[in-house]
Amino acid sequence: MNGLSSNQGIRRVLGRVARHEFVGRSAELERVVAQASDQYRDRGLLLLMEPAAGVSELLRQAYDEIFDQRSVVVPIYFAFTRNETTAVSAAIEFLNSFLQQYVAYRRNEPSLCHLALTLQDLLELAPPSDFDWIQQLVESYERQRFSNDDKALVRFCLGAPQRIPKQSGRAFVMLDGAQLADQLNGSVILGTEILRVFGRANVAYVLAGLRRQILQSAYDAKLDFETIDVLRLEQLSVAEARLLVERLAQRQRLSVSEEAKDLLVQQFGCSAFFITTFLQAAREKNTALASYLDCERLYVDELLGGRVQNHFADLLEEIAPTTDLRLALVRLLWESIAGDQRVASFEACRRRLHIKADEMEIILQQLHVQEFVNWDGSVVEFANGPQAWKDYLKTRYRLNVMNEPRALVVADALADSLKRAPHTMARHYKQVGRYELRDLLSRFDCQSVPAVLFNYAEFATRWKGAGLEETISGIGVETNMLSLPQSVHVASAASFDSDLRQVCDEHRCLVAHAFENGVYADAREIVWLAAEVEAKMEATAEVVELWCDRLDRLAAAAGFRRHQIWLVSNEGFNDDAATVLGRRGVRSSNRQQLDLLFDRIGPPASPAIHPVEGGDEFLVVVPMGEDNELLAANTVEQIARRLSFRPEAINQIKTAIVEACINASEHSFSPDRKIYQRFRVESDRLVITISSRGVVPTNIGGNVIANQNHEADLGEERRGWGLKLIRSLMDEVEFERVDEGTRLRMTKYLRNSST
Amino acid sequence: METLTTTIKSHCVGTTAVVYASDYLNKLTGEKIERECRRQLDSGCRALVIDFSDTELVNSIGVSILLGIIDVAQKNGAEVVFSDVNNQTIALFDMLGLTRLVALAKDENEALTNLSLMRPRPVVH
Repeated sequence: MNGLSSNQGIRRVLGRVARHEFVGRSAELERVVAQASDQYRDRGLLLLMEPAAGVSELLRQAYDEIFDQRSVVVPIYFAFTRNETTAVSAAIEFLNSFLQQYVAYRRNEPSLCHLALTLQDLLELAPPSDFDWIQQLVESYERQRFSNDDKALVRFCLGAPQRIPKQSGRAFVMLDGAQLADQLNGSVILGTEILRVFGRANVAYVLAGLRRQILQSAYDAKLDFETIDVLRLEQLSVAEARLLVERLAQRQRLSVSEEAKDLLVQQFGCSAFFITTFLQAAREKNTALASYLDCERLYVDELLGGRVQNHFADLLEEIAPTTDLRLALVRLLWESIAGDQRVASFEACRRRLHIKADEMEIILQQLHVQEFVNWDGSVVEFANGPQAWKDYLKTRYRLNVMNEPRALVVADALADSLKRAPHTMARHYKQVGRYELRDLLSRFDCQSVPAVLFNYAEFATRWKGAGLEETISGIGVETNMLSLPQSVHVASAASFDSDLRQVCDEHRCLVAHAFENGVYADAREIVWLAAEVEAKMEATAEVVELWCDRLDRLAAAAGFRRHQIWLVSNEGFNDDAATVLGRRGVRSSNRQQLDLLFDRIGPPASPAIHPVEGGDEFLVVVPMGEDNELLAANTVEQIARRLSFRPEAINQIKTAIVEACINASEHSFSPDRKIYQRFRVESDRLVITISSRGVVPTNIGGNVIANQNHEADLGEERRGWGLKLIRSLMDEVEFERVDEGTRLRMTKYLRNSST
Repeated sequence: METLTTTIKSHCVGTTAVVYASDYLNKLTGEKIERECRRQLDSGCRALVIDFSDTELVNSIGVSILLGIIDVAQKNGAEVVFSDVNNQTIALFDMLGLTRLVALAKDENEALTNLSLMRPRPVVH
């Protein structure tokens, strides 16, 4: 739940956070609570969770809400843990929890849920109206316990909620961590028993666990799928995950910088489990997370000896109980992930582990449930899994298989994660850039749009240099319209041809399967191949030919019957390129056309602008774009005049600021689309710092500035002069690499520049 | 400086078009100038004077667009003269090599005079 809700006043019974601090999952929470209502009476809900997505707090919040409703529905929450060793002990624990929570609910005393109570204690605490049936239940249990029939005992315990007399209410049972139930020792497969008992009882229930395992158990238990509902639980969204980091940091009084927050979200793939675990570790170690280095140091600590390590070690221990087998498994997994052989046969895996076929099946089944491999019964595909899993495997492999020195492994792990961090963020920022081609393609749904939006040459002839209003108004009265197809599937072109990864970001070259006019027939099927061409100026004919050839080859190799190429270049295409585009029947757009297209078929993402508090220095924060660099230029002019800089010097400073702002806007893929400018006045100089968050430009620190005393080569790149100009106009220019993007510090001395 | 609503002023003197740059020469205003210059060339102008008397600030994108205009003019066999450019902007043009490609004139009149002198006179026998 984001922010405050009408449910803020709910008593905390099992919830570990107050409702207003519970992040995300609002729709899922509503759905789980609804399962307790009459609408879903006697129906089951399978909560299929992506690994490490986090479900426990969702169920606890649902418990609290239902507890607070004080209706006839008695909420029961039970989490399977690794502490239980057998199905019988887990079932007995369930019976105990059920009675404890029932009595707590009936007495309206939440604190009873947290006490260590025996069955006799519970009997004494039972309200008079419940005493008889609870006493009978306890007596039956005592008899059943010594019957030597484990399966009967398990069924008895799990069936206890059905024994609540009608007049006393009805149970709503939420079972958490169902995947653990299948791993308990003994003759009873608890996961299947749970589904058998609840699937056939008149009790509403929720069974939450890993998606692959729960579905398999449901099939094994021969559940009637008409009586159950399914809710899929994936990772939090980026915004929710970031809010989770903020809330956790606030609650645990941790100092976490904005850059670190974004990094944690990306590095842990928005996993509520990993984010929570990591920030708990930060609190325990009293570690401030101010920089990437702080984050990665703690991450490596966690990976090699903390909670992250424990999590994966527990999983591996369950999958491969003996040390030798575990080592062999680590070797198999890491060598497969790190090498090119991502697919192996069942037999090849079995031979490498030196185990019997049935043992291999169990191991593969468990790896499959955890989504570390994809196993269809014959071929094993080694999946990437979360980054933390890959890092864990690598460190274990080097430490335990290769016996490398621990210090070296630690140092390498830290260096690797530090080197990876900027790339992780760059990838993310590029994805949240001004527009997403994938998003646009996904919105194609038979809309009618002006054809000129897909024809750069015509667009440029008619509207290049025209004002935005004039362009919009011209587009608005266009009569030559193009009917977009209905897009049914959009994927990265790299999924079709992995070589494309070498030449283009995955999200900038896409394949969209579509049908014209929404008619699902061979004749109407068309595949759009869209690519964003990297070019600072208008793209050239050579670039266009290259991309057309590349995409035509992809279409031929994939066997697309009919395809349409669409090239996008920020600044459009030059005249020669337009000729090629026309000859090859390629559609083309620049950024402005794309923005106009977004306006037509979907709302563009608009960056949020927040006020910034002032400080001791002159601090100006402007949104990128809209000529806002002029605001900064005018501000610095006023400041420079106070310092008695000569008009010529003032103009130089203004030009430098303008160039710095343009550079920040063009290169940073900034998440907040803001430029931060700090002006520090000293007795003999003016120091200006321009910074923005986002991707570090590749030319920073390179040789761009090396030929600063030479004239620009006009025959070559005409853009990218900004840094050269800044160097020439200011006395000192210094780039400071920060975790995200750069900070450009420029100094102008008064000595030669005053009036 | 207001640039968002700027329209580009221009007029013709014979076959020479005089196009006035706005106070801030950036991508948007640069493209407007380019558009106007192309229009003038398409309608038969043989020379361009771009007047910078109002121009206070030029950025590098503006400069790259000016280079594009010079290219187009050259392809059309037209001369280009920049007039009334302030010293700071001249320094900028120098730095980026623009002054090698165009003539500079003190003002519009000087530009027009220089252009008339540069044009080949008809040979009279």
